[in-house]
Amino acid sequence: MKESTRGALVVTARTLVAALCVVVVVAVRTTVGWGSLAIMLCALLVLLGVLASYNRRFH
Amino acid sequence: MATTTSSPPSDTSAPARPAGRSARRRGDGRFVLACLLPALVLFVLFMVVPTVNVFRMSFYTWSGFSPDMRFVGFDNFTQLFEDAQFVRAFQNTVALLVVVTVVTMGMGLFLAAIMTRQRLRGRNFYRFVLYVPNVLSVVVIAAIFSAIYDQQNGLLNGTLRLLSLDGLQQVWLGDQDIVLWSVAIAMVWQSLGYYMVLYMSSMASIPEELYEASGLDGASPTRQFFSITLPLIWQNLRTTLTFFVMSAVNLSFVLVRAMTGGGPDGSSEVLLSYMYKQAYTNSSYGYGMAIGVVIFAFSFLVSLLVSRATRREPLQF
Repeated sequence: MKESTRGALVVTARTLVAALCVVVVVAVRTTVGWGSLAIMLCALLVLLGVLASYNRRFH
Repeated sequence: MATTTSSPPSDTSAPARPAGRSARRRGDGRFVLACLLPALVLFVLFMVVPTVNVFRMSFYTWSGFSPDMRFVGFDNFTQLFEDAQFVRAFQNTVALLVVVTVVTMGMGLFLAAIMTRQRLRGRNFYRFVLYVPNVLSVVVIAAIFSAIYDQQNGLLNGTLRLLSLDGLQQVWLGDQDIVLWSVAIAMVWQSLGYYMVLYMSSMASIPEELYEASGLDGASPTRQFFSITLPLIWQNLRTTLTFFVMSAVNLSFVLVRAMTGGGPDGSSEVLLSYMYKQAYTNSSYGYGMAIGVVIFAFSFLVSLLVSRATRREPLQF
């Protein structure tokens, strides 16, 4: 696979995961409970993970 | 000859010089300490002591006024696990934190890039308009948005009625499903201009030659943004992101308090407003402080994670 294609795929995947996390946070909020809160916190952690994975190559 | 004549004076002065130097260093140390002492005392009095007190009080049951204080250990914390309203407030806080941060930072970066790189006509005017909310008090902003969201005479519903979109009219601050997002819009509006101006100042310091060189190599504006602009303003972005996480928690309290009071039926309650309610309205000061400890731990942890996730070597240009 070409380097540019791979790069584009990684960027698309990261964007999709980040968008999905935000959607999960918004959708799960309507249900009150510790389980929902845990899912929301997991989504927050995944968002931070996406940020860290983007940032890793600049270390 | 010269060495024999010059050596005795140097021998006699050699022990005196270090003594004088150490005395001066001691004097310098005392001066530095004297300069630091007022700030240190203020820091201990107004930061360390109250923080320690919050942790201490979370182990007590106290109404906030009576002299009776009872040590209850971790009872306040175990009570939190059974409190559905606390869970709801926590969920609302996380939702606001995620959505408002993503939208504010994303839009701030986007607008700053457009204002800096594109030669927009009247960009100073746009900058002024977007920055104005930051000058206003948060309570004034809450009043403005309460007027905008008013069910009968509000700007939003009025405009929808004018456009014959009556079906889209909502009770913006009275519907349990949308009230939190109404507050979120006010939060974004309040902070967007400030972060945009911060990013603009960082972007303005990037040398134009970098863009010219990359333009000659065929880089598109999007590529330039991700390969030049973003890496070169990263330190600024990192700092603002960490600060924003903390300020979003605080800002949500003021806006919720002023716009909805946590209602309807606690659906817009956030952690700080719930803590305030428990500590000062419900006379459960100890329980309120237990919530305060959770807020402290949560903010600290998220800030730490953000800081770790965004750490990188600063670029020199």
